Amino acid sequence: MIEVVQQVEAFAIENDAPKIDTLVLQIGELSSVVPEYLKKIYPMAIEHTLLEATKLEIEIIPGNGKCKVCKQVFNLLKTNGICPQCAGTDIELLSGKEFFIKEIICFDADDKDT
Amino acid sequence: MNQMRILDIKQSIYENNDQQADLLRQMLKDRKTFLLNLMSSPGSGKTTTLTQTINQLKNELKIGVMEADIDSDVDARKISETGVSVIQLHTGGMCHLDADMTKQGLSGLGIDELDLAILENVGNLVCPAEFDTGSSKNAMILSIPEGDDKPLKYPLMFSIADVLLINKIDVLPYFDFDLEACKDRAKKLNPNIKIIPICAKTGEGISEFADWIRKEVSEWNRY
Repeated sequence: MIEVVQQVEAFAIENDAPKIDTLVLQIGELSSVVPEYLKKIYPMAIEHTLLEATKLEIEIIPGNGKCKVCKQVFNLLKTNGICPQCAGTDIELLSGKEFFIKEIICFDADDKDT
Repeated sequence: MNQMRILDIKQSIYENNDQQADLLRQMLKDRKTFLLNLMSSPGSGKTTTLTQTINQLKNELKIGVMEADIDSDVDARKISETGVSVIQLHTGGMCHLDADMTKQGLSGLGIDELDLAILENVGNLVCPAEFDTGSSKNAMILSIPEGDDKPLKYPLMFSIADVLLINKIDVLPYFDFDLEACKDRAKKLNPNIKIIPICAKTGEGISEFADWIRKEVSEWNRY
């Protein structure tokens, strides 16, 4: 998590980002990342950084696969990796392994148009 | 009034480590040092296997070993008995090594001197598979008492390993371990995986592993 914060700080400095309000991460259901733990350690990870006092938002990406036999697309967790249509086990992974920094939501202090 | 703005980042969190790992791999390539990352669960025989392997190779290759553990220097002491240079890395509670820690370890060993650097990763079948250490090749050990279902339970580890050593083959008759089923499961995840049954205690199969290392080292230095 500390590494995530460093990566975001580097991005914020590079892009001259104004005050950050929220950090949005994307986590796949099949990645070995546990969102609850991230939420717990977030306040500690952001102490004395550019992200201090920001909020953390996590989007969960479903672990989907496509059966190589019958081309059915389905959620791997719900069926334990077995195709619900033809019971095949040769599955192409479509999504669910992600661990991404998606975006940061910022306050634009200078922009007073609205 | 303050306006909200969204800045897209779209970066993989593993990206940082992946970049460092690639840089490290390039550096190793330039200096003609082969880095082998050895992974397995605790107690599967990493240190014993290494000791046997080192004894077969130490007269022809300059070898350095990095022992990664959460604590203690038990393994480093055992390896140092073979006479090769060894450094103990403490991960301070972390369950794996990343490329940056590996790089620090390598500079501690002094890679200019080495043909073969071996990283004995933390005993764990989960996290070490997720983090690229910058190694040239990955080796893993599965021991008979752990069971033949491990490729099913820890698929990532088996899919990133270049060579799978099945250790403690001498106790096979006493366990319900289906060697062929285990091989099939590993091959299904990773068709190119090289599988060598060994017994680190008696030395069985170690020369085949040593030959694999020789071949990989010369291939690494060719280009």
